Amino acid sequence: MAAMSTDMEQLYQQRLKRYTTAMRNEKPDMVPIRPFVAEFVAKYAGYTCQEVAHDYEKALDATRRCAADFDWDATVANMVFVWTGLTEAIGLKYYAVPGMQIPADTAFQYIEPPEDDAHMREDEYDPLIDDPTGYLFNVWLPRVAREVRPMGEPTSMGNNLSFVKGGMAMMQYFGALGNQVGRLRSESGTVSAIAGILKGPFDIIADKLRGYKALCMDMFRQPDKVIAACEALAPHLLKVAAMTSDPAKQVPVGLWMHRGCVPFLSPPQFEKFYWPTLKWIIEELWKQGIQTLFYAEGEWNPNLKYIAELPDLSIVYHVDRGDIFEVHKAVGHKFCLSGGIPNDLLAFGTPDEVRTCCKKVIEGVAGDGGYVMDASAIMQDDTKPENVKAMTEATREYGVY
Amino acid sequence: MSEQPPSKRPPGTCVPWDEKRKEIPEIKGDEALVRRVWEETDALAYLYIWHCLLAF
Repeated sequence: MAAMSTDMEQLYQQRLKRYTTAMRNEKPDMVPIRPFVAEFVAKYAGYTCQEVAHDYEKALDATRRCAADFDWDATVANMVFVWTGLTEAIGLKYYAVPGMQIPADTAFQYIEPPEDDAHMREDEYDPLIDDPTGYLFNVWLPRVAREVRPMGEPTSMGNNLSFVKGGMAMMQYFGALGNQVGRLRSESGTVSAIAGILKGPFDIIADKLRGYKALCMDMFRQPDKVIAACEALAPHLLKVAAMTSDPAKQVPVGLWMHRGCVPFLSPPQFEKFYWPTLKWIIEELWKQGIQTLFYAEGEWNPNLKYIAELPDLSIVYHVDRGDIFEVHKAVGHKFCLSGGIPNDLLAFGTPDEVRTCCKKVIEGVAGDGGYVMDASAIMQDDTKPENVKAMTEATREYGVY
Repeated sequence: MSEQPPSKRPPGTCVPWDEKRKEIPEIKGDEALVRRVWEETDALAYLYIWHCLLAF
């Protein structure tokens, strides 16, 4: 037992060194593999989407099983990131929960704020700007959570319970994630790939406050308010990212971006509304030695000239639909890259096609190090296990320096 | 990013200590201890609401 735990710790240290060396844009012993697997783990372990969304212990178990069976250097502790048990405890209205509103075998769905009843009204930019935290507690939360009563209305047992249940459930869940990080290390020598959470101010307004369509109108009707709101949110998003980041500053903060790329925003709109505050946050994190995983889902290549403004090594640039070879040419000298293996290939292709693609990407962008193998986007339950196996094995075969 | 005016509720706080202190008539013992614990538990509530927004 002691020998096994020593072996596992040695494996962990080897993988950690490989992963962090690549993220510093250097050449490790081989290309690290860091799959972001969500409902894929459910399929692999024999759980339904409902089970892994509603019972996080099953999601954690499924992740550990994958980490033990596949030769991965790093993975996320739980990529089925919304524990619907918590969202139901406070009655969050913006999720369709597997097994409740949607079939048990469908991944949880996020529901956009309704255009005619947005979570933040069009004339509420000033209270948000003036006091973001106060606005969230007093206005936003009562609107999005069925159990929370609005200010000034009679309270209820449901209201009082929602704060106790929500707070305690959140602490329980994050405690379990902490335990999971330890178990991944001790049981399979696997590194927990990211720590902490960040989203851009513009995405927060689009996803959770105004909705994307209403925000598009706001960009024309009240552009100064949109910019001011982004600037008011930015210090808080920075604070949360820093508070939740890796204390050892080895693994990056996960930055999840939704509306910054074409066709959602044109590059001039990106430059004016989306980029300034997000760039500031990333730079401020980097001043503290905290790297950001720039998870660029969608087609981000039209924005490469802006991303190139960031300090060297401040981000790990994750490629989804952009041409990864073009990305490498533009910013590969500044940042480690990850991704570039299309999800539809992993879902509908053959293992041989996956191997060919992995070999091409490794040969094209990983020659000097600074590349981490992963799918283009988070792998859900349409991903074939044999293709994930092929991706893993191809990396070990073609990715040795 | 433009210069930000001081916020009545800075990042990391829900009820800043300066505001809370006005409610307490007298602290007979170690005020720094009272302040530290207040700020630590206040930060938990801060993380709660911002995680509801960011992560859930």
